[in-house]
Amino acid sequence: MIHDLEELRVKAIAELDQAQTEDALLSIKTRYLGRKGLLTGMLRNVSQATTEERPLIGKRSNEIKEILTEAVDEALRRLSKKKREQALQEEKIDVTLPGRAVRPGRLHPIIRISREICEIFAGLGFSVVEGPEIENDYYNFEALNIPKDHPARDMQDTFYIEENIVLRTHTSPVQIRTMEKQKPPVRILSPGRVYRPDSDISHTPMFHQIEGLLVDRGVTFGDLKGVLTFFIGRIFGEDTAIRFRPSFFPFTEPSAEVDIRCVMCRGTGCRVCGQSGWLEILGSGMVDPAVFKNVGYDPEEVSGFAFGLGLERIAMLKYGVSDIRLFFENDWRFLEQF
Amino acid sequence: MLVSLRWLRDYVDIDLAPAALADCLTMAGLEVDAINEAAPEFSRVVVAKILSLKPHPDSEKLSLCEVTTGTGILSVVCGAKNIQAGDVVPLALVGAVIPGGHTVQSSRIRGERSEGMLCSEEELGIGPDHTGIMILPSGLALGQDLKDALDLRDIVLDIAITPNRSDCLSVFGIAREIAALTGKKLRTPEIRLREGEEEIRDLTSVQIQDPDLCPRYTARMVRNVAVCPSPPWMRRRLESVGLRAINNVVDVTNFVMLEWGQPLHAFDYRFLEEGRIVVRRSREGETFVSLDEKERILRSDTLMICDGIKPVAIGGIMGGLNSEVKDDTRTVFLESAYFDPVSIRKSSRWLSMSTDAAFRFERGIDPDGVVRALNRAAQLIADLSGGTICRGHIDEYPRKIESPRNIPLRLSRVREILGMDIAPLESVRLLESLEMKVLKGDELHYRVTPPTFRVDISREIDLIEEIARLHGYDRIPATYPAISILSKERDRRQILEEQIRNLLSGYGYSEIITYSFIPAKAVDDLGLPAGDARRAAVVIRNPLTEDQSVMRTTMIYSLLETMRKNAHAGCFDLKLFEIGRTYQAGQPGSLPLEKNNMGGLLTGARYDHRWHYAGIDSDFFDLKGCLEGLFESLKLASVKFRTDLHEPFLHPGRSCRIAIGEDRLGFLGEVHPDVLTRLGLKNRAMVFEMDLDVLAGHFSSALSCSDISKFPASSRDVAFLISRDQTAEEIIQISLDMHEELLENVFVFDVYEGHGIPEKMTSLGLRFSYRAHDRTLTDQDIGQAHNAIVRRIMEISGAKIR
Repeated sequence: MIHDLEELRVKAIAELDQAQTEDALLSIKTRYLGRKGLLTGMLRNVSQATTEERPLIGKRSNEIKEILTEAVDEALRRLSKKKREQALQEEKIDVTLPGRAVRPGRLHPIIRISREICEIFAGLGFSVVEGPEIENDYYNFEALNIPKDHPARDMQDTFYIEENIVLRTHTSPVQIRTMEKQKPPVRILSPGRVYRPDSDISHTPMFHQIEGLLVDRGVTFGDLKGVLTFFIGRIFGEDTAIRFRPSFFPFTEPSAEVDIRCVMCRGTGCRVCGQSGWLEILGSGMVDPAVFKNVGYDPEEVSGFAFGLGLERIAMLKYGVSDIRLFFENDWRFLEQF
Repeated sequence: MLVSLRWLRDYVDIDLAPAALADCLTMAGLEVDAINEAAPEFSRVVVAKILSLKPHPDSEKLSLCEVTTGTGILSVVCGAKNIQAGDVVPLALVGAVIPGGHTVQSSRIRGERSEGMLCSEEELGIGPDHTGIMILPSGLALGQDLKDALDLRDIVLDIAITPNRSDCLSVFGIAREIAALTGKKLRTPEIRLREGEEEIRDLTSVQIQDPDLCPRYTARMVRNVAVCPSPPWMRRRLESVGLRAINNVVDVTNFVMLEWGQPLHAFDYRFLEEGRIVVRRSREGETFVSLDEKERILRSDTLMICDGIKPVAIGGIMGGLNSEVKDDTRTVFLESAYFDPVSIRKSSRWLSMSTDAAFRFERGIDPDGVVRALNRAAQLIADLSGGTICRGHIDEYPRKIESPRNIPLRLSRVREILGMDIAPLESVRLLESLEMKVLKGDELHYRVTPPTFRVDISREIDLIEEIARLHGYDRIPATYPAISILSKERDRRQILEEQIRNLLSGYGYSEIITYSFIPAKAVDDLGLPAGDARRAAVVIRNPLTEDQSVMRTTMIYSLLETMRKNAHAGCFDLKLFEIGRTYQAGQPGSLPLEKNNMGGLLTGARYDHRWHYAGIDSDFFDLKGCLEGLFESLKLASVKFRTDLHEPFLHPGRSCRIAIGEDRLGFLGEVHPDVLTRLGLKNRAMVFEMDLDVLAGHFSSALSCSDISKFPASSRDVAFLISRDQTAEEIIQISLDMHEELLENVFVFDVYEGHGIPEKMTSLGLRFSYRAHDRTLTDQDIGQAHNAIVRRIMEISGAKIR
């Protein structure tokens, strides 16, 4: 009798394992465990068993009922999981297809460089000041110690609007306008468009400069070197070799041109650096006492330094742009790279 | 300026290799732009000796030469008549390249083998003689490269001289600088004047009528000159720095100008009427033919050198054709003068004549070097032309040219400017190396007199710069300034611009930078009517091209140009913006008005041309939505889009004015098809332009926040039938004007025209959302508020419920 029970259990489980649908499972369940099912049928014959056997049969048949009920549930869960998996499979997509584009806008490379430089100097307490692009001769030249009919004017070809009104040739007039309005100390940075009649692979009639000016008590040429070295380290990397060499600007004295080791050839000499191994990056110098006098500062009381740099040049070196005109053609294939 | 190293060595010993010398000069402020090897342009030309010479069997003009290079014997066919056995000559070997790019080849000439070519001076580019083969000194080593044998190699430095350093516009000036930098001794060329008996004063006179423009004029005369080509050494000197040799008189004036920086001029005395010189201003409108054979019309303030009757030179700029030295010139009148720098500069610019002489005069020459250069040139002309120098010289010097003396120098000031101590003795040594005279007052106060050729030094700061320059910038330690605290609020417009850039690029718009100038005809292309303020553009007097001749008064043209250029390159989908200025002409004499503006352009596909949404073009509402998003991010709630706009370059039915509060901010719209046609554009485009100064006036970076309701909202949808002349905004405004507290917001959820809707009507679906701060609203609450709003809309606008 016990033997029959066990046989029934094995057979039922085998059938459950075979079942492929929920309906099949439920009919197996009814056939074995239902009120008129095989297990109940078997128990009806318990009277034929011996007295010793009877309790064992009762106990075992309850156990088997539990086992089978659990097996049915398990099979049901298995089937439902499989069904769900099938459904998900049908929703399958080709994940390698491109996403619905959110094409990002680009910031112009000149603006990127300008921001980067302004941020570096903001950390040193420089604030950004702007000035007119169409300037009086006085601010663009004379107040900067460049008199009319002076050869220093040859350094900057000029677009004229009227006899005494020009498109500014540099951002330096902002120095004068700022100092006229403000008592020292001064720490300003002035980015903006400037204009010179020149057009070839390395010149455009409009380009961008940033002017910097720091005036305070006791500012020295050593400070100029310190601040500009810090700046160049930040923008071109701390290990960039740098040199200061004497030069001439009418509004600074002593004046210094600042060079960095050529970023292309690292100093061995190439086309970019004209075989010199060095690249001119910015012009700088101690503010000339004549400029201080023009704005009513006492050069015995305060001193300071100014510097100016061309943003296109920095951007060309940093991003490897070979032709300056690309900045203003605004060809999408160029802009897209930023 | 080009400077030959061989020439420099005449005045100073140079131990440094060319690259090291260049570095030394560069680090002293004389920037060397290039180091060029200069040598005649030939290769494989060697010293050879003619062993024998016999006539060519098949030609009367040619001869057969046996030549040796020391190691072998070669046969060469030659056409020259001036050679004989035993002559040492230049031989171009097979494979040699001679000037002009010609390569010498092994060949048969009329049946005879020729294994090279004997050369004339002219063929090698080292002299003018083309009459025969160049005969070399007999002592030269056979087989040696001719460049080495004749020492023809040179190095030429290209030095950028800054406008302050007029003293370095000469070979001697640069030698002087090298001597100061390297501590070597300077050799001044010796001038040996052998004067004749004839007195210059008996032959000529000089009268300066305008001493303000010509404070000093000196002259010498040389008689009995024979004008001819200069000797090779002189020609090489001039040619090494890019000057063309002309004849032994003119070459000397150029040579001395290059040597000393003093421009000179030589006149043919026989053309000086009355045999005298008058220095005076020109007369207005006077004409004059300069050496370059061009007729010049003069202004009244140009300084002229005249004879007794007429002008013979434009003072300090260029000589005249009427008095130039010719092949048959016998008597030379030599001028060495000091002209006022400003006057020379004005005249040379006015006449557009930037000559080597004017370049030097306008930068300032050494007032004390005038006579030295005069004597040097007279001596050289006499040497090279066999002439005789007249006794004495003329030196009219009516107005003293002042050179600064005794400039005070405080050593404390050196420290204050440079940030380091330079020992007093060292400062003195540096200054003295530059030929400055240093007088000691007390310990730390000096008085310094610079040499007269240093016209750039007149102030204490100039001296400090010289000390720094010679001490070496690299030896000044880098320090950090002890700076005061400065606290400045950032400019509102700058913050705004930064935020706009971040936002718009996030929305997919890319920033461009276009030129501030546009063509004058741009306003016509845009269809701006006469009287439109934007026609009053700032005009550039000297534009590079017509396309860049006026400053823009609107950014739209530049945006459309950018679209055109990109379309040309095959890119039709663009989302662009630019932040920049526009310029409005002001009163004459006053600065134009510059406005900070921003413009944008949208054209082409709304999304990328990918598999998701192919071929949907962007439209007005794409650009408007972008601007609405922008204003929302910037917390500018009071922006309104108004229909009262008439922009000639925009589609009249698809454009609007943008207002903020009571201010005009700008406009937005689709570009007028006529404008597209005029600019050669095919695709529709949407543009906007806004005044950033106005926008900044309404912008604040401050934020405030209010509590949010815990209670649910309920919404009611209504579809109104409105006339097409009515706007959604005016319908919505009616509901807002009621200030119903429970109304949280209203928005358009549907717009429909067409089937089922009467003609000229629009169905406008509005969703009204209601909420209270303190309770859940009942149907009754909502119904009351909502019905009132709907009734009000119908009453005022005449709209019906669909």
